Amino acid sequence: MDIPFRKSAMKVGIEHVRAMTKAIDLTIPEDELLPVAIRLSALLEIMEKIESELGDQMDTVDPVPPVFAEIARLP
Amino acid sequence: MIESRQLSPVELVHIYLKRIERYDGILRSYITVLAERAVEQAKIAEQEIAKGNYRGILHGIPYGVKDQLYTRGIKTTLGSRILQDYVPDHDAAVIERLNAAGAILLGKHNLHEFGKGGTIDFPFGQPRNPWDISRTPASSSTGSGIAPAAGLCSGALGNDTGGSIRWPAAANGIVGLRPTFGRVSRHGGLMFGWNADTIGPMGRNVFDCAALLQVIAGNDSRDALSARVPVPDYISALTKDLRGMRIGLIREMTWVEGMHPAVKGAMEESVRVLRSLGAKVEEMSLRLAKYAVPLQMMTTDADVASVFLKKWLRTDWDRFDKGTRSRLATACLIPAPIYNRAMRARVLVRQEMLDALKNYDALITATHLQPAPSIDKSKETVGTVSDMMERVLRRRISTWPFSGANVPAIALPNGFTDDPLPMPVSLQIASNPFSEETVLKIAYAYEQATVWHKRHPNLDFTTRQLTS
Repeated sequence: MDIPFRKSAMKVGIEHVRAMTKAIDLTIPEDELLPVAIRLSALLEIMEKIESELGDQMDTVDPVPPVFAEIARLP
Repeated sequence: MIESRQLSPVELVHIYLKRIERYDGILRSYITVLAERAVEQAKIAEQEIAKGNYRGILHGIPYGVKDQLYTRGIKTTLGSRILQDYVPDHDAAVIERLNAAGAILLGKHNLHEFGKGGTIDFPFGQPRNPWDISRTPASSSTGSGIAPAAGLCSGALGNDTGGSIRWPAAANGIVGLRPTFGRVSRHGGLMFGWNADTIGPMGRNVFDCAALLQVIAGNDSRDALSARVPVPDYISALTKDLRGMRIGLIREMTWVEGMHPAVKGAMEESVRVLRSLGAKVEEMSLRLAKYAVPLQMMTTDADVASVFLKKWLRTDWDRFDKGTRSRLATACLIPAPIYNRAMRARVLVRQEMLDALKNYDALITATHLQPAPSIDKSKETVGTVSDMMERVLRRRISTWPFSGANVPAIALPNGFTDDPLPMPVSLQIASNPFSEETVLKIAYAYEQATVWHKRHPNLDFTTRQLTS
């Protein structure tokens, strides 16, 4: 895939996941924290890439879900 | 044949029940088989038809549904230990419509837990691909892909958030249609992807899918986002002439590094067939399509997880499959500003596709870059950050951009690998929102010009793999 990865500022480790899950009253066993940290870091990293490419354009649109437009155009 | 009474619905139900008994112990496409109920309904259908009260094309036809759709008085497990004894008190809207059309519910199909994909341990049995039982039948409308392919029902309904109808359709060599969000009522489906979940037909050919969609499509006031758009006659749309149609082949969703040679060859041949039918096919580019997968994970997954956090993640963590809970827990932690920015980016990615559809009647891709892998290889593992995202993208790049754009997309067989047990590969056709008749028309014309839909797995041979 053509999405180059770079060292990211937005990434989380096990200790962050532990704190974040505690904040939403969710308890995850210790041995399952790492996969969550890796998954979340991957998403945050890619969001940085998207921001760097589309950020200015993203400021110009509303975050409308892909359902209302069709409904609104209906008679 | 049923209308002309050459084939009895009772006879047809018994044929399927015998096949289920013979093969489904290995394939595990069903969680619940409604044998007695189906025979009773078939008797009623037979009597009605004998009296001249034929209700239409699905009258007396046995079908199955993903066990994600509510069925009154019948267990609806969502493929999860958490809901293994749950019995709804009402039917999903689509079940009501199929009942009214005289179709016969044969049973509830196995699925990845809560329709999320990534299930590691299936509580109701490991589903297997009928073409090669060592391979995955794909996620997440898993049993609804297996059962029509294996001749264990006439057709099925699945649910597609990212690619959960189209990938099992591709993996099992059948046809599956993700309709436009809003085209089919979501009432009575346990689906929390509130702007992405769609219910759609899966069947052995395009005609069967058109017939199922004809019955289940249409506005329903119980679904707040159900569209008030007229439902066209899908059957009449099925013609073999594509003259004048403009079709774009999306490079970024098809010619991807690492694609299987059989998928590549089948796509090249599909383009030739579509051109021979009169369509103008050209390659085009959707630069932003690659972002659709992570953006939907940061938004739709977060929508879904927000409900699961309250309902079961806090209280029933151990009863979730390990794969499901890891993905849901991750989505619970998406920060609100990231969610908002991802929703904005989704608008741009979607707009690029809708702009492209101003120049084309339809867009095509391979449905999946690889044929169904072995069951072991299909389990999503978490290694490093870059490795994980690479695998996540590669697995979903062909289907998720259409879901994120909310356009209808159909998957249908377009060839086979040359493995000792040949595996099906698949063509995907998408079009503008609410243009299901366009994708059905192109799919039908392609199907009638090819032979792939006429091939069926030899279950006596493939199911012997396990016993030997």
